[in-house]
Amino acid sequence: MKLIRSNWLVLGVTAAFASSTAVADDPSSADTSDWKCTQCPFAQGYSGDAELGVLGASGANATFGRYTGIDHGGAYADAAASGQYRNDDGSYANYELDRLGLASRDGYVEGGREGRYDLRVSYDGQPNILYDTGATAYRANGSTLGLPAGWVSAGGTAGMSSLGTSLAPVTIESERRTVALLGRYFASPSWTVFGEFRRQEHDGTGLTGASFLTEAVQLAQPFDYVTNSLETGVAWAGRKASVRVSYLGSWFDDDYSSFTFANPYLPIVPGSTLGQLATPPGNTLQQLSATGNAQLPWRTTLTFTASVGTLKQNAAFLPVSALPGAQVPTPDSLDGDVHLSHYALGLASRPLSKLSLRGNATYDGHDDKTSPLTLPYVVTDTFPGGTALTPRYSEDRVRLDGGADYALAHWIKIGVGGKLDDIHYGPGQVVTWTQNAESWGRGTITPIAPLSITLKIGNALRKASSFDATALPPEENPLVREYDYAPRDRVFYTLTGAWTVTSTLTWSVEGSIAKDDYRSSPLGLQAVHEQRGSTNLTWTPRDTLSTYIEGGYERLFNLQSGYNGLDTTPWLAADAQRFWNLSAGGRWVPQQRWTLSLDYLLAPSYDNTDTTAGGLQQAFPQNWTKLDSTRLDLAYQWTPAMQIHFRYVRETYRSNDWALDGVGPSSVPNLLALGVQPFSDNVNLFALTVRYQFGRDGTTPQASK
Amino acid sequence: MTRVKRSAAAALVLLLGGIGHVGAASVPEKDAAAHAAASAYSPQGADTCLGCHASNPGVMAIFHTKHARPGDPRGPFGHGGLQCEACHGPGGAHVDAMGDTSKIIAFGPKSHSTVQQQNANCLGCHQSNAAHDWASGAHAAGDVACTSCHQLHTAKDPVQTAAGQIEICAGCHQAEHADLDKLSRHPLREGKMACTSCHSPHGSTAPAQLVRNTVNETCTSCHAEYRGPFLWEHQPVAEDCTNCHNPHGSVQPALLKLRPPFLCQTCHEGAGHPSMLNTPQGLAGGGAPSAFLLAGGCINCHSQIHGSNHPSGRAFMR
Repeated sequence: MKLIRSNWLVLGVTAAFASSTAVADDPSSADTSDWKCTQCPFAQGYSGDAELGVLGASGANATFGRYTGIDHGGAYADAAASGQYRNDDGSYANYELDRLGLASRDGYVEGGREGRYDLRVSYDGQPNILYDTGATAYRANGSTLGLPAGWVSAGGTAGMSSLGTSLAPVTIESERRTVALLGRYFASPSWTVFGEFRRQEHDGTGLTGASFLTEAVQLAQPFDYVTNSLETGVAWAGRKASVRVSYLGSWFDDDYSSFTFANPYLPIVPGSTLGQLATPPGNTLQQLSATGNAQLPWRTTLTFTASVGTLKQNAAFLPVSALPGAQVPTPDSLDGDVHLSHYALGLASRPLSKLSLRGNATYDGHDDKTSPLTLPYVVTDTFPGGTALTPRYSEDRVRLDGGADYALAHWIKIGVGGKLDDIHYGPGQVVTWTQNAESWGRGTITPIAPLSITLKIGNALRKASSFDATALPPEENPLVREYDYAPRDRVFYTLTGAWTVTSTLTWSVEGSIAKDDYRSSPLGLQAVHEQRGSTNLTWTPRDTLSTYIEGGYERLFNLQSGYNGLDTTPWLAADAQRFWNLSAGGRWVPQQRWTLSLDYLLAPSYDNTDTTAGGLQQAFPQNWTKLDSTRLDLAYQWTPAMQIHFRYVRETYRSNDWALDGVGPSSVPNLLALGVQPFSDNVNLFALTVRYQFGRDGTTPQASK
Repeated sequence: MTRVKRSAAAALVLLLGGIGHVGAASVPEKDAAAHAAASAYSPQGADTCLGCHASNPGVMAIFHTKHARPGDPRGPFGHGGLQCEACHGPGGAHVDAMGDTSKIIAFGPKSHSTVQQQNANCLGCHQSNAAHDWASGAHAAGDVACTSCHQLHTAKDPVQTAAGQIEICAGCHQAEHADLDKLSRHPLREGKMACTSCHSPHGSTAPAQLVRNTVNETCTSCHAEYRGPFLWEHQPVAEDCTNCHNPHGSVQPALLKLRPPFLCQTCHEGAGHPSMLNTPQGLAGGGAPSAFLLAGGCINCHSQIHGSNHPSGRAFMR
């Protein structure tokens, strides 16, 4: 969007904002001069608790430990603590530390003075242990993956005679550690200055692949990412309007600028003994944003956002290949420069008590100003491929959406709405525009006060410009319509219901059907059908007992077609994914000292793929997963200050995946795989902890002025 | 593109024009606030309230919360604040009627007050900060009460914790909750993320009430390695991560909507292997194990599918 239009928009928003602030403030008529609040037990002093214990796990592995950090059998320390301090001068401090004995530990410490300022420091550890079943012949040395001495290269994995003795276990795992520092200064009840610095370190080993023309390898790739971000700004809040202006800067870097790996196969061309992959380049995002709202007459609210930014990267290029004598091309970096913009205006109004109206207009610009480059390239570090032009992708997206709801009577409400999503693509893409127009209607009936049923029905039609298959090499079959560009007809239905049967029994249900039809695309995606249903029943007969049961079902069906070239009719592939979940549980306090809670979850999924080509139908083996989990928590209040907590978790996870089942390093002639296997576990976990509360209750009556 | 920009600018200006017109109309408001202003406040503020409610721990827990901080001038118990009546409205009639809850603003599903009346009292303070975009959001349109999610009279509002938030959001968003039990998912069940890591339940101008302006800006706030711009960009990646991924969960690996190679073949049908049908013959026990199908499928070779900065990364293989 050109500058003049941006200015026009900002001026418009400012004018509307200014007019809204002219709406008179409405000072309270209450006289509070005699309100002493002498009986108010405001929190004071220090209180806290600490929990310490032991956690034992058997059968734990990467599947169970992926995000918890409990990835092997044995004992772990289980520790947590929290506390609060508050002084009568308004100064305070809080802290909360959790899972201190695990890699998934997190916590924060905050403090400040009420109404003046606050500071908060937080830490979050997040392990991600994906596979512990792989094995590799490669040995890592910094950013180089080499093969052991005596490695026997061959034209296929079966001929790699030293493979068996070269394999060493490898775990695909990483850890994300985030430290954040947040500060706010309340210059006045209306003005706030804020800033947040966040540093996220993410390092470990990822699973990647690479090939030498037709021969591929799976690699355990080391990475070491750091993202620093700073968001700072100022906010002003009046009684009828508010505005927030902020700056966001985010800097990403990878300590590995590339990594090199040996070719385990006999080189297809002499000298092609090494491969080199580029790692994600360091990049910088900077944005300036203003967002706000204004209360207008007729119970109308205006909201607005204006945001502009740039996304840049200029990392040095690698040589065009790892072949001897390969050069870094000219220019030697991209000088990538993408301009991002987001402007939005929303209006919501209730001019009548029975009528609500809302409308939003949003513009998103992704303007890639990077100069396209024509560069020489080498195919998979094997042989020169000529030169190619790097395409750049820009798009302008405008969304208009709105709706209205009207209460015909106290028991029935109807609504209509629509959305227009208009995307125009930059030059050099296979389509120049798509437009998705959606409309819907809904009705809510409340035949009796505690029962409410809502039905929503809608359709959406996506159109696209003519398709130019030659616009982007490599050229696609001109009959295919790429998924996100393809014309599409969609119908959808949603039914939701909630019923408070009695004061102790509630029931809710939700169901939806969506059908996408891509049949104007001769090849590619033809249809997607999605069906979902879920229900929830809760029963709380008394304060000391609450129970629930919930279940859900989902079916996702995809139909696609392709063209083998030699066949006279396209092939078809149909995929049906089904997923169930059933959970039940409750919480019971049989005596004042005891609390018991029990939760059970069963969640299986099935995925069936069938293909048809040349009149021959073939079915893939069924992929399936099954999660079966039980959790028991038992707490005993030994003394007023001490609680003993016992936890037991039993989890089994089983899965079948034809892409991984039985696929070892040498199963595929032209793929030296890591041989990772589908997720599976059978875990029993026990935890016994003691929680001790200390400090006084912290409530002392005092006068507020 | 020019046409789009022009239509966008025109739409925005039309909206602004309409707002200006509305703003100039100055129609008297007959809302709950005006009605409330006509009522009497209690004679002693919170002391009046505690005369009856001091023995109710469900009420007194408010004094363990941010709403009861005498030193905070922005809060209801700060200097000159309306204390309990900042949220519950003038309580004089409630006192006179011996505790008739219909005479004050009460909260929750059994309240005599409408959702709009309940929310108006919260938004009176919070629309200027946490609930900036509330009015234009889906929850406002769906008449969701603030207290449908928030508990005020408790030391720690459950929705402020990751585990509590998931349960509360799941009360309505059951399908998304079920997604958390699928094969691939984000670490919400372990409390390492919350719904608000990506979504702004109080409204936002982004699609699906995301916390950043676009889907990609939201995803890359954690996954910055995919942010680019790359020398070789993959168009659907640059456009929208959800072209290939379902962020709530999937029965396919890596949150994918469909398994490679079939996912890739919804767009790629070029001559040669991209167009070829992969059949069970390519499985490990199928007679002709295929690298197009097994392990990572297409990404065995095209591993840099999110973009490549290698001069020879044209097909995302380097």
